Amino acid sequence: MSDHNLTHNHEEHEHHEDNFFTKYIFSMDHKMIARQFLITGIIMGTIGMIMSLIFRLQLAYPDMKFPFLEGIIGHWGKDGKLDPNFYLALITIHGTIMVFYVLTAGLSGTFSNLLIPLQVGARDMASPFMNMLSYWFFFLSSVVLLSSLFVDGGPASAGWTVYPPLSALPKAIPGSGTGMTLWLAAMVLFIASSLLGGINYIATILNMRTKGMKMTRLPLTIWAFLVTAVLGLLSFPVLLGGSLLLIFDRSFGTSFYLSEIVAEFAGGIERTGGSPILFQHLFWFLGHPEVYIILLPALGITSEVIATNSRKPIFGYRAMIGSILAIGILSFIVWGHHMFITGMNPFLGSVFMLGTLIIAVPSAVKTFNYLATLWKGNLHLTPAMMFAIGLVSFFISGGLTGIYLGNAALDVNLHDTYFVVAHFHLVMGSAAIFGMLSGIYHWYPRMFGRMMNETAGHVHFWLTIVSAYCVFFPMHFMGLAGVPRRYYANTAYDQFNVFVDMNEFITIAAILGGAAQLIFLANFFYSIFKGKRAPQNPWNSNTLEWTAPVEHLHGNWPGEIPHVYRWAYDYSKPGAEADFIPQNIPDAGQTDPMQEAEGLPEPSKKTVQEPVMA
Amino acid sequence: MKILNLLSKFTLLVALAFNFHFSLSAQSVEEGKALYNANCTACHAINDKVVGPALKDVHKRREEAWLIKWIKNSQALIKSGDATAVQVYKENNEALMTSFENLSDNEVKSIIAYIKAESEAPAAAATAAVASTPSAGATSGEASSSDWNTAINWMLFVIAIILVLIISTVSKILGRIGDIQGKPIINWNKTNSILLMAFLIIGMGAAFWEFAAHSKHTVFSSGPASEHGGEYDNMFMITLILTGIVFVITQVLLFWYGFKYKADGKHKALYYPDNHKIELLWTVIPAVVLTVLVIRGLMTWNAMMYKKDEKARNIEIYAYQFGWNARYAGVDNKLGAHNFREQGKMNALGVDTNDVNAYDDVITNELHLEVNQPVDLAFRAKDVIHSALLPHFRVQMNVVPGLPTRFAFTPTVTTAEMRKKLNKPEFDYVLLCNKICGGAHYRMKMKVVVDTKADYEKWIKSQKVLVNKNTSSSQAVALN
Repeated sequence: MSDHNLTHNHEEHEHHEDNFFTKYIFSMDHKMIARQFLITGIIMGTIGMIMSLIFRLQLAYPDMKFPFLEGIIGHWGKDGKLDPNFYLALITIHGTIMVFYVLTAGLSGTFSNLLIPLQVGARDMASPFMNMLSYWFFFLSSVVLLSSLFVDGGPASAGWTVYPPLSALPKAIPGSGTGMTLWLAAMVLFIASSLLGGINYIATILNMRTKGMKMTRLPLTIWAFLVTAVLGLLSFPVLLGGSLLLIFDRSFGTSFYLSEIVAEFAGGIERTGGSPILFQHLFWFLGHPEVYIILLPALGITSEVIATNSRKPIFGYRAMIGSILAIGILSFIVWGHHMFITGMNPFLGSVFMLGTLIIAVPSAVKTFNYLATLWKGNLHLTPAMMFAIGLVSFFISGGLTGIYLGNAALDVNLHDTYFVVAHFHLVMGSAAIFGMLSGIYHWYPRMFGRMMNETAGHVHFWLTIVSAYCVFFPMHFMGLAGVPRRYYANTAYDQFNVFVDMNEFITIAAILGGAAQLIFLANFFYSIFKGKRAPQNPWNSNTLEWTAPVEHLHGNWPGEIPHVYRWAYDYSKPGAEADFIPQNIPDAGQTDPMQEAEGLPEPSKKTVQEPVMA
Repeated sequence: MKILNLLSKFTLLVALAFNFHFSLSAQSVEEGKALYNANCTACHAINDKVVGPALKDVHKRREEAWLIKWIKNSQALIKSGDATAVQVYKENNEALMTSFENLSDNEVKSIIAYIKAESEAPAAAATAAVASTPSAGATSGEASSSDWNTAINWMLFVIAIILVLIISTVSKILGRIGDIQGKPIINWNKTNSILLMAFLIIGMGAAFWEFAAHSKHTVFSSGPASEHGGEYDNMFMITLILTGIVFVITQVLLFWYGFKYKADGKHKALYYPDNHKIELLWTVIPAVVLTVLVIRGLMTWNAMMYKKDEKARNIEIYAYQFGWNARYAGVDNKLGAHNFREQGKMNALGVDTNDVNAYDDVITNELHLEVNQPVDLAFRAKDVIHSALLPHFRVQMNVVPGLPTRFAFTPTVTTAEMRKKLNKPEFDYVLLCNKICGGAHYRMKMKVVVDTKADYEKWIKSQKVLVNKNTSSSQAVALN
């Protein structure tokens, strides 16, 4: 099967017999793998969300007993009271699941897999076998992570950033026993999955574009996926190294990250000479690019959805590519802004501060370009479009607070407070989730051949955006009052009593947001089987994936792969009859796909309604 | 033999306890309360298990003598093979309890007396104790209403599910009707555009209301309590104003465009792929604004980080799971050396008792600062990374095992002045742990008091010096 992408003999694709296992389980078809990533991601996301609701209950009602907790989490919720150590376990696993399993694998894994071959015009990924491995490593990693919920001592509890010594010494916190070992094992598997995927994405984008698909004609989704894959490829191995050293410290008595810790506390061997800060450097060398690994695909999806549904070309296509590249490069030199007050040399703090605030420039350019794309558009407010608009709103709200936190001086008082929680849940959490949901609503017909219910989609959007703002906006004020994150309860501090009502409000909003996701889940799974049949190109989009038939073929196009004659954004071009010209339609008189004739607003071929296969 | 030996010690201690019992009980509850709040609340509560077990009725469960031994050095007791000690250790996730060698037997007894008083206090009295032990008091006080609330929560849950079902049914029916009529019942394009506008107006209104309502709870409303705090707050306000302007402009444009340019079947979108002039403009403007912020920020940052004052008083902040100590350098203003291997034995902080600089060091559970007197805080951690956040002073620094960190600043507002300013007579500055460090992370705090010069000197004189001057040589030997 792996030679499908090499051969152009399409007969073979149609007569291929797939059994159940090769079609649904160990599939090497990128479209199936995308669906596997998506459904695994949705399941993980649901688990992560339920965890957040449990600890939100604790934060809102620290003195109350919830007997049902004992039914869900057993002895960790004895007598309906959440155990403080398990609270820390919940926030750790919630963070891990959301950052890695949902927003990295679930988002990038789904849409890179689905869209890269379809939008660049390839029959499949460069290596379908590696692609399959990528999913199964991810699946295994998910299973290992979830299994850590059932071990003695509970799952990893040192926060998703797992700073040693807390994560290195079982004496420090119960979750740093078997639970932490499993967390690290899960992470190693996850990194393997991510690297296998990333290599494939890059190879496919660079080598397997169809004729005429120049780099400057690629849809912005593909540009975002490309830079994302490069970021992952360069940064994940560093986390792998960091994790391995942590495994050594935990299991083999080394002291890479430990210093001045007595034998009694450190498992019988005195540890000295290492540096806890070293781990933070290694972690954040991945950790910060990771933020953009999460965000860039969401921004790529938004660019595509906004352009299509505004019926306008994306404003400043080249500036958008430039911004993506600039963000990608800069993301490697800003990791220290997570460490301003770790005792790092203040001069380094200055350097990281400079880099961090420079990132605001390409981010601002992207925002203004989105606004300019909407300006004088002809907006089709589909659920996908609404979620894309929601993303831009969150990107602004959360991005601006980044200017506070990226400023080393201001970070002194805001570091690790609820201000940070509010910041990253808006700019990274909510924005990226909205990008993902936008992508799901937009490409659902492409993935499952059916339409999702539109009304349910709109209700889902409105409930979600309102609850997300209600949850995260008030948190800024708690942060400004100095309320630290990762506190089991604020009851030990009289000055935080003023936030009792706010905490209750946030929790109620979070439950509302959770309930809204039930609408989405119902809509998603119901529509797979019972949704309306999708037309080939439901959104009148220009990109190549909509030229392939609705039914999934192994090899994507029944005939020859279409050639590309223009960029992806010829919407509402003056002189054209329809308000869109798909990429595979040549200009009048254009015979060579490489010929540059389409960039100018000259009247193009009038017969756009009948796609002409070259 | 060992048992006999222990028994004899037990009886002696019990006898002693009885002797003191009557004379002590009155004032010892008060003293116990203070000691309890300073030393125990990080890991214990009366009615709830925290990291350590709930302490209610502990005087009934265990012998007083056993408790004294346990509190002073639980690890020794566990190692000696004491069955109860081993059991307690195992029951509590093998978490080691901090050794409180510095507490005298009488002080431990007053803590026990306080716990006894708290345990015996009827439920009604528990609410009265809220002020001192908020979480413990609140739990017992609200026990009856929590069942009610749980019922309400269950109802909310059921209502949410029903709501979802109703919405899905309604949307299905609407979809069907729409199919029959050939056009959708709800014009979502129009509805959404109106909702976008409504969201903008209500959302902006809510955001401004929140600024009005909640700004007063932030530490910025009471002004800085330190010298560099003024500079910090200026930087914050500049950022707030600039980002506030950008926030309003961009959000208004976003939702306004969403409202204005909705498809109505009449107009066509404008083909407008780029405009280099505009793009250059909105690249350069943010760049200039950010340059200003970077330069201003660097000035503030450098002023905070490179502050060095010869007259600064040296204080060491020592962090452990789950509490803080302050070590004052004494008259010589030099902190004695320390060695992590000595930690937790005779001296909890592992101070090097051979170092003459250490003799006049003072170790305390509260951080007292003199107003307008620069201090240079050096941070040291025993076990894991902690972070010392003093929000009112705009001070924070991580406390990393094996890595010395420091932060120098000058407090400018005394506790009394701040109480008056906030109109809260019970207000206290606080140093809180702000880096996840284990189960009782959320209770790991130290009271901070900013005194006038006279009060500070009175206080520091009342504290025990590590090695008494007169007997320094003999005591030092004894410590070794």
